[in-house]
Amino acid sequence: MSRLHLQDVRLAQGDRPVLEGLTGSFPDGAITALIGANGAGKSTLIQAIMGLLPPVAGRIECSVPRERRAWLPQQLVLDLSFPMSVEELVMTGTWPSHGAMKGYCAAHYRKAREIMARLGISQLAHRPLGELSGGQRQRVLLGRTLMQEAELLLLDEPFANVDSETVEVITQVLRDMAAQGVTLIIVLHDLEQLARLADCVLLLADATGQWFDPQTLLERHGRTPLGTAALSPLDLGGVSL
Amino acid sequence: MIDTLDALLLAPLTDYGFMRRALIAGLALSLAVPSLGVFLMLRGMSLMGDAMAHAILPGVALGFLLGGFSLPVMSLGGVLSGLIVAGLAGGVSQMTGHREDSAMASFYLISLAAGVLLVSMGGSSVDLTHVLFGSILAVDSSALLLIAAVCSATVLLLALMFRALVVECLDPLFLRGQGARNGLIHGLFLGLVVLNLTAGFQTLGTLMAVGLMMLPATAARFWSKRLEGLMGLAIVIAMLASTGGLLLSYHLGLPSGPCIILLAGIVYLFSALCGRHHSVLARLRRSKAAPGTEKPSSAHPHHRTT
Repeated sequence: MSRLHLQDVRLAQGDRPVLEGLTGSFPDGAITALIGANGAGKSTLIQAIMGLLPPVAGRIECSVPRERRAWLPQQLVLDLSFPMSVEELVMTGTWPSHGAMKGYCAAHYRKAREIMARLGISQLAHRPLGELSGGQRQRVLLGRTLMQEAELLLLDEPFANVDSETVEVITQVLRDMAAQGVTLIIVLHDLEQLARLADCVLLLADATGQWFDPQTLLERHGRTPLGTAALSPLDLGGVSL
Repeated sequence: MIDTLDALLLAPLTDYGFMRRALIAGLALSLAVPSLGVFLMLRGMSLMGDAMAHAILPGVALGFLLGGFSLPVMSLGGVLSGLIVAGLAGGVSQMTGHREDSAMASFYLISLAAGVLLVSMGGSSVDLTHVLFGSILAVDSSALLLIAAVCSATVLLLALMFRALVVECLDPLFLRGQGARNGLIHGLFLGLVVLNLTAGFQTLGTLMAVGLMMLPATAARFWSKRLEGLMGLAIVIAMLASTGGLLLSYHLGLPSGPCIILLAGIVYLFSALCGRHHSVLARLRRSKAAPGTEKPSSAHPHHRTT
């Protein structure tokens, strides 16, 4: 039994139904790509998995405790003019274990430093967030989820607006996390990323979802060779279910 | 020379008990209030303090009608009406789906009108001026105790809530995902704002109290990029403005609230012009250092409207 299982889930935003009849398991220790056109319900599903939006019907069975579920929003959601340093943001990943009051000890700072080294942002530790590039910010946010020791990690387009070096670093870290058994769900728009990263694909379309093996999806979608298809964003209108 | 300085700066304090009490009240407020202002500013709620300042007025006025010029009664009324207005505004916006700021604006206008009406029903225009703009003569020992208690509690609670406030301010979704009760943090914070505005109205007046909260915070933004720096600097600015404003009001016979706030305002204007970060001067200097970089809005021809 996997950690995260959907059983006939129906979701709605207010009165508007978004998804229904969604069933399936997200494999542990693997990366599942969540794809679909704008408005297909990707964000809604993420909210539901994070426990922020209860399903109208069906069950979301998640054996991961709340404090081990991490969520990396799109950067734009955050107020990055906030006067906070890189190290401080990474340290907020201790919230689940420390809450508002408990003090940090040297081991936590050491762990934060290790994480920053792994992400190649050690030299930025004391820089304010507002001075970072898009790619650097994304690495810092990923650092927070590493600090959290997440068992379930949801990422919303982690490769949007980042440089190629950051793509490399993030890809490697995500692969390592999967190898350590973390369940990863990534909202993706780009076929190349999907081909490189995904072990499994959940496609949202027509108010429901369907699971694919990435190879099958790529073959079905790309009648053109992968090389050219990879350059264009995924056109999901062309995928027939 | 020394005599002149003594007459200007020290004599008012050594000669008059009410000046000493007012100074201590001002300094205590300066220690607590600017940090709240920093968080209000960072949350993009700078105008919220203003709205809350109006919201406490009807309660203060009602307390004045019932108990005369007694600080505890008026403060209690102020806190209650502030909390009620904040709750009502939140409730209305939640039920109607309108943004909270429009509900807040409506309620604070109602509060202001109701408050002014209540004061003028029971008292003279002098009383109204006192309630709106403060009166240093009115700070007696019990008022001082109340102000000191509120400020101490504020500093203590802020220290306890600090991490929660920072994380909630930066990324509310992260906290909600962790099952933290954002509403509780937000509510406690707003409660502190109301409490401190009420504590401040005795020296500064209901309409001016918010100035000591916001102006030092907005001025500090031009000098520091760190949260600790912002708070420390805002406190220093508030203390200087409180002391200077009080002395000014004594020597020139002006109301204390506006003097204190105007001094803080002068610091803000100076910072906006000459501050280290994002001030007019800093921008000019930067554009001189890098003449090649244009403003993005003028660099793209497709932004032009024909």
